[in-house]
Amino acid sequence: MPEQSLFFLLISSALINNFVLIRFLGLCPFMGISRHLDTSIGMGLAVTFVMTISGAISWIINEYVLIPLDLNFLRTIAFVLVIASLVQLVELVLHKASPGLYQALGIFLPLITTNCAVLGVALLNIQELHSFVESMVFSVGAAVGWTLAIIIFAGIRQRQELVDMPPVLRGFSSAFISVGLLSIAFFGFSGFLSTS
Amino acid sequence: MTLLSDFTKGLFAENPLFRLVLGLCPALAVTTAAINGLWMGLATTFVLLGSNFLISLLRNVIPENVRIPAYIVVIASFVTIADQFMFAFIPSIHAALGIFVPLIVVNCIILGRAEAFAAKHPLGPSVMDGLGMGVGFTAALLIIASIREIVGAGTFFGVSLFGPNFQPAIMMILPPGGFLTLGILLSLINYWEDRQEQRSRYRRRRLAQEGHHHA
Amino acid sequence: MTLSFILPAIGVLSGLGLLFGILLAYASKRFEVEVDPRTKEIKDALPGLNCAICGFTGCASFADAVVGDEVEITGCTAGGADVAHRLAAIMGLEAPDVEPQKAYVQCGGGIKEVARRFEYVGYADCHLANQVGGGPSACGYGCLGYGSCVPSCPYGLIKINEDGLPEIFLEDCTGCGACVEACPRGVIALLSEKNTPIIACISQDPGKVVRKACSVGCIACKICERVCPQEAISMEGNLAVIDHEKCDNCGICVEKCPTKCILTRQLAVMAAASQQRAV
Repeated sequence: MPEQSLFFLLISSALINNFVLIRFLGLCPFMGISRHLDTSIGMGLAVTFVMTISGAISWIINEYVLIPLDLNFLRTIAFVLVIASLVQLVELVLHKASPGLYQALGIFLPLITTNCAVLGVALLNIQELHSFVESMVFSVGAAVGWTLAIIIFAGIRQRQELVDMPPVLRGFSSAFISVGLLSIAFFGFSGFLSTS
Repeated sequence: MTLLSDFTKGLFAENPLFRLVLGLCPALAVTTAAINGLWMGLATTFVLLGSNFLISLLRNVIPENVRIPAYIVVIASFVTIADQFMFAFIPSIHAALGIFVPLIVVNCIILGRAEAFAAKHPLGPSVMDGLGMGVGFTAALLIIASIREIVGAGTFFGVSLFGPNFQPAIMMILPPGGFLTLGILLSLINYWEDRQEQRSRYRRRRLAQEGHHHA
Repeated sequence: MTLSFILPAIGVLSGLGLLFGILLAYASKRFEVEVDPRTKEIKDALPGLNCAICGFTGCASFADAVVGDEVEITGCTAGGADVAHRLAAIMGLEAPDVEPQKAYVQCGGGIKEVARRFEYVGYADCHLANQVGGGPSACGYGCLGYGSCVPSCPYGLIKINEDGLPEIFLEDCTGCGACVEACPRGVIALLSEKNTPIIACISQDPGKVVRKACSVGCIACKICERVCPQEAISMEGNLAVIDHEKCDNCGICVEKCPTKCILTRQLAVMAAASQQRAV
């Protein structure tokens, strides 16, 4: 049934193949922003917004411009142009329409351009031969999964700030070991949905 | 002398992976085998060289407010070249690296060096900087990949080391293994840094004491 | 070798670039936000640390607020007098009468000097430790040494030394007061830079109690009050207090204090102070 497979897709992209903990996408901002909970939530929302829209636009351009003209090698450049322009556009619109939100997101907006998860989603949609609807579901799921992971991780890191730690584990060392454990935990989702 | 230091700083003091903690996505995703890590590093070095070269050349021509999209287009072009090259000549490695080859575009190292260095320095230092960062990144990838491959698959560059009865720790080539390997490597670097600090503090104290004796 | 893809490739990329370029150009006009040119000047004059001590979410918001006349130009305490003067120049206002201040640690009771009442097991945070039975230190007023002040400094000038006391790198201190707020016991205070001694104790406990708790605390013996030729020292409760206006830095109180809790301004950096005491 198409609805069931869309649901599978959502759960799969959000949890079973979580974008940051299993697929290693979007790690740089994930490690950089996750020191505080509120900034992590802001980043997650911004990423969700950009990922969904850029996923849609990239798919349309690939389907109706690149494939008919047999220009598949231009995919990377075209997609990255879409993302960079979209982020710039979102910044402009937000600055005018909702200055409060613009201030709250601050420098995170431009940082989304270098979030490999955003470009990764666009490319994976093509690689997995998703239809337009499947691409949308996949993008939303990916964004939700990324946001979930960064919020959980920010909670962990905030508590680690206060704890007495052996000096060799300071900084990113303890952060990476913690993510490793979180990743193992998310492996528990792999038996989540059986296809029988 | 400064040209050389522009190169060497990317190897240790400002190693992009271990010190600046950039370029994490490919560093953990493709380091399941040493050969993959090596090729990813070489591809990134090529793109770094090319983009630093071109951006440094054009730094006075590109207007300020479109510089980020301009850099991205330059980087994306070099990435496409590297992508097509690998697809044509080493298709199996290209398939193993998957989407992480086009993702070199948004590798924070490349955009970071372009904005922080190539945009403000002349051609020579920019090229050396790109080369140093690339080589440092490749070395770091090789270290992580070697550890993961040896422990997680019992092979090194595809050569079986421990014979057929070796039970590898499969977790090492799975995502958690990547995170844990990097975490432990970073703790070793912290340890080494602390030792350096202790040694220099000890040396300073000894010098101060000797100073007192002479006075 | 057919190169038939070159023209379409150039066409598509140029087309996309043109399309996005036009879109963004239109958007930047349509969604233009009125920006006062002074805002950028002010933002550049600020330290740019986004430390939020001013109460705004970052330097950009503070700059907007200054231009919008919502806040005093002295609001950026992290920038200190220097920034206040620059902002006054940009806004065309009178230079504010801001005296530069720096943060000084008013406690000499570290691990070597003060006994511990009990062993505190918990998060290494002064606020939390302070709430457990009034803190693990034998002195109920002095520094606890867990370093809650350290992350509060926007310039990262504070570190906890081997004796468990904070050391502030005063040369770069702008007197923003973040560490003063961060300390749950009020050990750190902002003082003018005048070269007068500092009493490194804030304990209000009577002399007997202080003597048992700390080897370098103020025991309210009043010797300093008696010997000061300028009558600059007075007792407030069980603690000696120096009037920095009257003091002329003769140094007699420093010499005569039996517990050596009065430090010259140079020794106000604690590391040097504990070495001095060892003599």
